[in-house]
Amino acid sequence: MLQVLVLGLMNGGIYAIFALGVVLVYRGTGVLTFAHGEIGTIALYFAYFLVAKVGLPWSIGALGAIALAALLGGAFEFLFVRRMVNADPVSTVVLTVGFGLFLLAAEFFFFGASPRNLEPPTKHYFFVIDNVVVRPWQVAALVLALVLGFGLQSALRRSDFGLGILAAAQDPAAVRLVGVPLSRVTLTVWSVGAGLSGLAALLVEPSVGVIAPGYASELFVIGLAAAVVGGLTSLPGAFVGGVVLGIAQSASSRYLGSFGVSGLQYIVVLTILLVVLLGRAYAPEVRRRLATPHAGAPSTTTAGAAA
Amino acid sequence: MTDTPLLEVHDITAGFGAVTVLHGVSFEVPRGSIAGIFGLNGAGKSVTMKCLAGVVPTRSGSVLFDGEDVTRMSPERRVARGMGHVPQGRQVFPDLTVEENLRLGAYTLRRRNRSRYQAALDGVFDRFPVLRDRRTQKAGTMSGGQQASLAVGRALINEPQLILVDEPSAGLSPVATLELDAVLQEVAKTGVTMVLVEQNIAFGLSLVDTAHLMQTGTVVHSGPVAELDDQTLATHLGIGRVLQAAAGSALAARQAPRPKEKARARRTA
Ligand SMILES: Nc1ncnc2c1ncn2[C@@H]1O[C@H](COP(=O)(O)OP(=O)(O)O)[C@@H](O)[C@H]1O
Ligand SMILES: [Mg+2]
Repeated sequence: MLQVLVLGLMNGGIYAIFALGVVLVYRGTGVLTFAHGEIGTIALYFAYFLVAKVGLPWSIGALGAIALAALLGGAFEFLFVRRMVNADPVSTVVLTVGFGLFLLAAEFFFFGASPRNLEPPTKHYFFVIDNVVVRPWQVAALVLALVLGFGLQSALRRSDFGLGILAAAQDPAAVRLVGVPLSRVTLTVWSVGAGLSGLAALLVEPSVGVIAPGYASELFVIGLAAAVVGGLTSLPGAFVGGVVLGIAQSASSRYLGSFGVSGLQYIVVLTILLVVLLGRAYAPEVRRRLATPHAGAPSTTTAGAAA
Repeated sequence: MTDTPLLEVHDITAGFGAVTVLHGVSFEVPRGSIAGIFGLNGAGKSVTMKCLAGVVPTRSGSVLFDGEDVTRMSPERRVARGMGHVPQGRQVFPDLTVEENLRLGAYTLRRRNRSRYQAALDGVFDRFPVLRDRRTQKAGTMSGGQQASLAVGRALINEPQLILVDEPSAGLSPVATLELDAVLQEVAKTGVTMVLVEQNIAFGLSLVDTAHLMQTGTVVHSGPVAELDDQTLATHLGIGRVLQAAAGSALAARQAPRPKEKARARRTA
């Protein structure tokens, strides 16, 4: 039981960081991004390149990876998203899918299909909870997700520009009319969201040890689902969504793993997603029925109210 | 320099896709005056305001603000130059508090000169005490009239030279409209130059110095309110008897000399 919880929390932290990036971009610009998974993968490859090929220390490789991810997110916004402001948001979403595929192709082109090893910064530090090996970066991911999920909003409130980011999520047109440069808001949001993807990929990689094309996208998809479970616009919701899906996943592989169905954990994630979405769609109706016991005869109720 | 109009709109056209909405709109707004744009639904009043704000691109013609050609300037830079907005639908940021809305309103002021902010904030609070009382309340939870005060305060706090107000009374209850009337009278007293779009003609005419009547994308009549008559209104706006009567009474009130005008005459002297 504890084992399931610990495993779930460790994964959940990673999902939550991906989810935070998704929520940030969605709130800031109204675009649901599918590109951030591959941005995370290519950032990892860059870290691999800097550490294994160039011979730089891990910390420099990690910083380089986050910087590249942020740069890619910003460049994508600057070159494409910005030109799509008057287009249907769906076409921008399709564009993010295209960008993800482009990055995937770039990974194959530069690094080939065979997996690469990126040595973790340290193998020696870890502790064991109920037979689960917990490593410092896993704890870091969870703590970071928690801090960002519950602290980012109030941190943004402190600065005028941060307030502009929050306001742009509510009304992008009105933000320009108070003098906030909207293009800088969207550029920032895309860069930071992409940087978070790079960070999430970096924090999960040492537990696996190898990178392959498309590597982070598998995790990102669950992060995306976590963002949706959390309501898509709520940063704390992204954290909760990530943790819920992480625990559901570890529970399913622990208790249902014996069925031997591959990909079962994705089915569980998908089921939770479906239940949450349906629940959200039907909640107002259910609440209304509970509130008005005579919902079967609405005409009498309204007549009574009017009288 | 001071006798050039603060705002000069020269023959601007604008539209969406294949549709042209504005077919050459021209008018001028002298410093310290209040201009009203009136016209039927769909006449192009809001599009004109959006061209002035820079949110909708002009296809030809030019907009001069304080002598400077701003036709191609971004909305946020126009705000930094001294334009303030009370957009249609008021558009306060519902999830931000009253004070946060005002802090955002002062975005360019605070970048220019942060030390002036506190005094500007106090100024707005003195003018609209309700905003001081509710400074930590989320803007979206306030009444329509209070949100209108906030929208106006948010524009004023940036110390604009020109304030563009689009249909502030739309969707307000009669009581809230009265409240708003007081707010706008208050704004007029600051001597700020204003362009006001208003569907409620009786209400609008009671506030403005000059009326510009719009019909299908052009200005068909411009002149001081004092010289407006019911016949002109009827011809260009096609308003019926009821409105005509209401407008007539508002005109009567407006055309009598009022303390506000005397004050303004003194200031310009
Ligand atoms: N974003 C838009 N896209 C297409 N047409 C628009 C848009 N905004 C306004 N229009 C059209 O421009 C005309 C003028 O609109 P508007 O300026 O809002 O009228 P009003 O005078 O009532 O404020 C209308 O016919 C309207 O349908
Ligand atoms: Mg309008």
